[in-house]
Amino acid sequence: MDILNIEHLSKSFGTNNVIDDLSFSVPENSIFGFIGQNGAGKTTTMKMVLGLLKATSGKINVCGEQVTYGQNKTNKYIGYLPDVPEFYGYMKPFEYLKLCGEITGLSENKIKSRSEELLVLVGLNKFNKRIGGFSRGMKQRLGIAQALLNEPRLLICDEPTSALDPVGRKEILDILHKVKGKTTVLFSTHILSDVERICDNIAVLHGGKLALCGTLSEVKSQHKQDGLLVEFASQVDKQQFMTSHSLASLMTNVEVTNTSIIFHTHDIEKTEMAVISAFTETKILPIRLEVLEPTLESLFMEVVK
Amino acid sequence: MRSYIAFTKKEFHEIWSTYKFFILITVFLLLGMMNPITAKITPQLLDSFMPEGMVIAIAEPTALDSWMQFFSNVPQIGLIVLVIVFSGVMTSEFSRGTLINLLTKGLSRSTVILSKFTMSSAVWTLCYILCFAVTYFYTAYFWSSESINNIGFSVFCLWLFGILLLAIIMLGGVLFKNSYGGLLLTSGLVVVLMLVNIVPNLQNYNPISLASNNMALLTGDVPISDFTGAIVICGVGIIAFITSAIILFKKKQM
Repeated sequence: MDILNIEHLSKSFGTNNVIDDLSFSVPENSIFGFIGQNGAGKTTTMKMVLGLLKATSGKINVCGEQVTYGQNKTNKYIGYLPDVPEFYGYMKPFEYLKLCGEITGLSENKIKSRSEELLVLVGLNKFNKRIGGFSRGMKQRLGIAQALLNEPRLLICDEPTSALDPVGRKEILDILHKVKGKTTVLFSTHILSDVERICDNIAVLHGGKLALCGTLSEVKSQHKQDGLLVEFASQVDKQQFMTSHSLASLMTNVEVTNTSIIFHTHDIEKTEMAVISAFTETKILPIRLEVLEPTLESLFMEVVK
Repeated sequence: MRSYIAFTKKEFHEIWSTYKFFILITVFLLLGMMNPITAKITPQLLDSFMPEGMVIAIAEPTALDSWMQFFSNVPQIGLIVLVIVFSGVMTSEFSRGTLINLLTKGLSRSTVILSKFTMSSAVWTLCYILCFAVTYFYTAYFWSSESINNIGFSVFCLWLFGILLLAIIMLGGVLFKNSYGGLLLTSGLVVVLMLVNIVPNLQNYNPISLASNNMALLTGDVPISDFTGAIVICGVGIIAFITSAIILFKKKQM
């Protein structure tokens, strides 16, 4: 079942079309990576899902219920972590979670047990001090705790790792990984290594439209364009190698750097054969010969070009 | 209802922790003491500043002078401090983004406005009562025998005007991105009310008379019934400002 379903969503600010006929859905119990450049419209889309912004046109369904702007009945299914979560600096973590719990309508006992459980999960159980003195990473972790308080079926995180150091990033990703299974996670980011680390589904947003969408492996195989990397010990070797006759037909789509050449091709075996015969022909041997797999980064660069 | 109580509690926690409450209490207590004391010592002060041999006739101060200080200091100093302290009550939440978490947790937008209005009104009421009580006791101590007409009603009028200002601040907070917008709207509307007051026919309906015409009530120059129009208009204004703040807030994109 799809936990979130977006159909033909559009949003413009004045004459600026930020989201243009966007449609996709997030399957239950997945970690969905929502990728795009800064200003691609990720936050705008998320805020429309939360009913904080008004969509120009289109439909959003959360758990089968339609989202209406300004109302928050579908928000009972959602936990939201804003990109820079802001708290009341004079409160302590427990007090803040209590406020959230009372607003969302949890019972006293439930608030207490959930708060304790979540503060342990995000590693803040020992920090009983005012939030004003928290580091950014700690605020991000408290943000996750408040988002998970009402046991949401969908957790929406807006660039949860963007502003954090490597340790903080790892901690956040680990937490997101831990909640998978209980909660579907939709998170936006422009850090591609984070996506490769934990996501099973991805969508790339570019120019207000979806440029790529599907499971990570699907997307990679659909856009498979192989490359063959040949690296030499010196520039002279490379120059000499490039004059080989066997390579003539391959030189149309190559990337040449100081001491290496990358052949882009759709038939990797044929290319490899040609390259190997070029080695015998020129009597020059490489220090490295490698078949390149498409990376998420190369896919991303390709679609946002 | 539960989220209203929770959010209102948070509002009180906030005004306490950010020291705004202490600022207000201090200002209003000081005002409360200043009113009768200023009235009492003004003649002596003037006397001591007069060049020798020069005599001016100043009537012996009365309790009425003390209340005259009250009804000029509270609107001129007290209300201004009140408006400045509360001018950021909405906008600080917007500029810091602290409401986003709570709104996505199901907090309704009308609750936000009503909670903030409840808290600020309660704080104003408490400060005002303290200020009044201090002035009242000092006045009774200095001029025990005198009785004053309509004092309760006159105090109520000024209180209601304070509530009106708080309602305007709520609307200003929704309309403008920073707290100066709220200040501007509040002071702008007060200026408009003052200008309207020039027209004699409208004076009886102008809420500003609740804060400027109090002495006439005490001296008995104006009957209570003359204030009915202004009170009704003021009440309608409070409801209208709060309602429009809620409606506009519901339409605001966050």
